[in-house]
Amino acid sequence: MPALDYPPPIQRLIAQLRSLPGLGPRSAERLALWLMQVGPLRVDPLARSLGLLHDTVRACDECGFFIEKDADCLLCTNERRNARLICVVEQAADVLRLERSGAFQGMYHVLGGKLSPLDNVTPEDLRIDSLMQRVQSLQAEEVILAVGSDVEGEATASYIADGLSGLGVSVTRLAQGMPAGGALDHVDELTLFQALHGRRKIG
Amino acid sequence: MLEKLTLRDFRCFDSVQVDVHPETTVFTGKNGQGKTSLIEAACVLLRLQSPRTSSRDEWVRFGAQAAVVEGKWNGSVLRCAQSAKARRLAVDGGVCTRSADYLSASGVVVWMDHADMNMLRAGAEHRRRYLDFTGSQLYPGYLTALRAYERALRGRNYALKKDAVIAWRQADAFARVMSEHARVLREHRAALIDLLRPFVTEHHAALSGVGESASVSYACGQSGDDLFEELISRRGDEERTRSTACGVHRDDILLTLNERDAGSFASEGQQRTLALAMKLAQAKVLHQVRGQAPLLLVDDVFGELDRHRRRALMAGMPQGTQKMITTTHLDWLEEGSLSGQVYEVDAGKVRGGA
Repeated sequence: MPALDYPPPIQRLIAQLRSLPGLGPRSAERLALWLMQVGPLRVDPLARSLGLLHDTVRACDECGFFIEKDADCLLCTNERRNARLICVVEQAADVLRLERSGAFQGMYHVLGGKLSPLDNVTPEDLRIDSLMQRVQSLQAEEVILAVGSDVEGEATASYIADGLSGLGVSVTRLAQGMPAGGALDHVDELTLFQALHGRRKIG
Repeated sequence: MLEKLTLRDFRCFDSVQVDVHPETTVFTGKNGQGKTSLIEAACVLLRLQSPRTSSRDEWVRFGAQAAVVEGKWNGSVLRCAQSAKARRLAVDGGVCTRSADYLSASGVVVWMDHADMNMLRAGAEHRRRYLDFTGSQLYPGYLTALRAYERALRGRNYALKKDAVIAWRQADAFARVMSEHARVLREHRAALIDLLRPFVTEHHAALSGVGESASVSYACGQSGDDLFEELISRRGDEERTRSTACGVHRDDILLTLNERDAGSFASEGQQRTLALAMKLAQAKVLHQVRGQAPLLLVDDVFGELDRHRRRALMAGMPQGTQKMITTTHLDWLEEGSLSGQVYEVDAGKVRGGA
């Protein structure tokens, strides 16, 4: 006799859920059972949202941030934003983070990842070519590389900077160092080292 | 100074607590009883790494969820818990999210075992491991730079191998990252070897007693400070071999005895003496720079040293060095040169005896 298990539909749901990022077998099982218990009133809106996702939302061809279909990109069409300034980020979520900081008024460009040969991510998988075209068509003056400072992030930044070097645009990188409003005793040595190297003159 | 060492689900140990003697703690017993795991636990507690393995999940006892090592070091309670995926660190009950915070509360370690002879007989990776073990205890940025360099190197080598036509722009992007970290590593390693050299020479001379002159020097795997430029000039080689042609991953220490290569020309005894001198030098440098005597962990080799080298090792360690030693036989103890505590280890149990 085969070992007892959930009926196939539940098994399929668990298999689907555990293939999502951040969910393991136990969490997937818990979610599936919860969905089973709460009934259709709670599940239908969820199923609808999931179903509508790809019908109604797409990535902007220009910046790569999400927009509703048939709508204009709020970032790319905004007249008040500085089109000469392009900020390059890894993921769409980074756009919101920078936007909430309120410190940036230029254009964004979402790469969709970072260069990582070990994970089989090559420049062709990222939106690097479209960045090159955009820099030329917008006649950008500065490209800010706001990618992470891990090995892959640095390599991506270096790759893009290399590609932009002939285009007469200035390429910058986000500063690294002291957290805002922090005292020295909360900063580890490496960060402190970088903060010292990136120090600036105030008088 | 390490006072108490507690292990839970660490390797073969279910749960065990050892009072560590301020001077010398000796663990004796037959093979495969867990002696080495005890001193490995001490190394993990202080350095969060083990000279025996690079995969941390090996620490967890078979069938258990997480391994825990706890100990009192210079008055603060250190605690390191490792499960298959996660690690949790605490100092005096306060959780440390960054290993740097934890390590700043812990001490330095010198580890000795049979593999020390590989520094003379085997490939350069053994000498680099010696440098890395010392360097990571001395320089805060060392390990970060090393890990980042290795990761970038792996990425670059993979990019070089993957396609029929090499994606040079991709390889170059990683070369620039490597170049940055290589500069840090090269600088630290050169400084470290300069610190080690006089101690190696001094201890070797004292140990051999016949006027031999030993020396160490740095053979860097890249010719200049700019790895990126150098890699550009090695395109041809890399096209053939499909791997990174130069860089600090090819670093080596040249060990010489009377100005001849010690690996090929020194006798067995001379090599043993030089390996010992390098470990003593390591202890001295750690003491000099960090201002505290290291914890000396000796796996099995102590009993095999002759009386002369054993004395020299004891006398050569910095003042106040605490020692933990594993051994299968206690014949050498009768020399009476040690004051300390002997424990018997038998099938994952520790008994204070002898």
